[in-house]
Amino acid sequence: MLGNVRSFTMLSELLQGTDVGGFLLIQDSCSYSGRHLLKSFIDAALNREEVVHVLGLDVSEEELKEGLKSLVFQRLHFHDAYADPLGWTDNSPFTVHQFSSWRLAELLKQTAQSKPATLVIDSLSWVLRHISPTAVCHTLQQLKKGGAVRTIIGLLHEDMHSRGIVGSVCRLATSVITVEPGSKGEEALAKITKRSKLGKVTQDEQIFSIRKDLTVTVLSKPTDPGHKQSTTEEQVDPTANLTFNLRLTDAEREAKEKLALPFVFSKEKKTALLHSGPGSGKILYEPDASDDYDQEDPDDDLDV
Amino acid sequence: MFTELNSILNTSPESFTPGEFILLSDRQSDASFLIHHFLSFYLKARCKVCFVALVQSFSHYHAVSQRLGVSLTQAKEKGQLIFLEGLKESLSVFLPQEENPDHQAMSFLRDPAAGLRSLYEFVQSSVVGSSGGGGASAEQWGPPVLLMDDVSVLLSLGVRVGAVLDFSHYCRTTVCSQLQGDVVMLVRCDGEAEEDYADDEGSEQLMRGLTHQSCLTLHVQGLPTGYCRDIHGQVEFCWKKRQSDGQHAPKKVFQFKVHDKGVSFFARGTSRAVL
Repeated sequence: MLGNVRSFTMLSELLQGTDVGGFLLIQDSCSYSGRHLLKSFIDAALNREEVVHVLGLDVSEEELKEGLKSLVFQRLHFHDAYADPLGWTDNSPFTVHQFSSWRLAELLKQTAQSKPATLVIDSLSWVLRHISPTAVCHTLQQLKKGGAVRTIIGLLHEDMHSRGIVGSVCRLATSVITVEPGSKGEEALAKITKRSKLGKVTQDEQIFSIRKDLTVTVLSKPTDPGHKQSTTEEQVDPTANLTFNLRLTDAEREAKEKLALPFVFSKEKKTALLHSGPGSGKILYEPDASDDYDQEDPDDDLDV
Repeated sequence: MFTELNSILNTSPESFTPGEFILLSDRQSDASFLIHHFLSFYLKARCKVCFVALVQSFSHYHAVSQRLGVSLTQAKEKGQLIFLEGLKESLSVFLPQEENPDHQAMSFLRDPAAGLRSLYEFVQSSVVGSSGGGGASAEQWGPPVLLMDDVSVLLSLGVRVGAVLDFSHYCRTTVCSQLQGDVVMLVRCDGEAEEDYADDEGSEQLMRGLTHQSCLTLHVQGLPTGYCRDIHGQVEFCWKKRQSDGQHAPKKVFQFKVHDKGVSFFARGTSRAVL
């Protein structure tokens, strides 16, 4: 049992749904869709015999229900805001302008249930495109406190809004999971921030993958100490296994170190250049009356 | 229709996945050859095609399609193809000659801020007409298909990004979900890819929004190393859903070369010029 307790990660804790009265936000981007994880959360809630209401704007009912087991569909209520969210046809089941706390509470009351339901919003980005962020945040806050809803789970496409709007919605959430593509095909990276009621914030990063039956497998943390051992490789000797000899004997190494490089100025070289030896030409200079002859060496202050 | 592209996408005119939203995009390159592919593909698959062509004339597409073995005039006469020639229709919005309900499609030009509801209604009337069942003489066509070339030009006509995303959402609802047809849209970007949300670059935000809505994206770019005579660019294929056979291969990159009568695709590094 102790072994099991140790392997509980933040992601699996959130999937257990112990966070009552909270608002879980899943953030995704173009490079990796957060809807698979959203469906896993819906699946986990349905398996716990909870009632789930989905406000569907981004995808159709069929697409959302794909992969979920049909046995639990009686507890899953899909409110179709996908078909006509702006009221362009005459009979729209739900328009985006009806997104308000009292209207949503009404929707939830339509299906008689004994306990508060989980409300899933897919996606908040659709709502934010038409409703002001202040109104959306207000509605979410009222729903959290109202008591009609047990938990709210929302999907947000963070690359579709300015940082201010994303920040405002994240501030309301009790837990935020940002999903990104992982390094290998099936894997994805989840960055989790959890805010407790007392104000304590915990953060974590986990690599996970979702199987076909929507169960989430938490694989490992991105910086796993186990990896470090394999990265210390042996130093490879580049002079080995060649058809020619690149190694130096001791005498050769000595001679190499003694060699004076052509463009490095040493003291000997400088004096040799400035004071030319016997046999080379000498320059005799006799200044005129108008010449300003300075005896000083103009290059004296050079540090060559 | 390019046979190599069909094998990469694992489709054929006889069998393709219905209800798909395919996004074609390009960045500092030209992905319009893909529009010609899909146009001839769906016409050969005997689908009813509604083509909203905003950037080129009918004769342009006709000339290219003839090289691919499809006649657009014939398809139009038979009622298989409904062609909205945006360039021609836009004149009639500003110089109305007679009261013609068809011309309402481009009425967003008069008032871009109002959105694309009239354009959507045109699309809806074109595609719904096919499954409504015509008279005895009407041929039975396959699932409806909407092609758009291209969506980013709407931004330069004054339409907001949000309105274009609403329009594409409604097209998806009607064509993909209700009628089990396909939607193919082309979106073009000029600048460099920006990681963060940028207020002023409308086409970037539009491309991101459409990518979220689509289930398959084909992104055309030039080669990162520059111009090459034998390789005209690369196409990145991105599948969002898992494949039906359970394989999850989300991304593939292929290089291509455009010829006179087709386009050849090959894996990176296997161009004939190199091998």
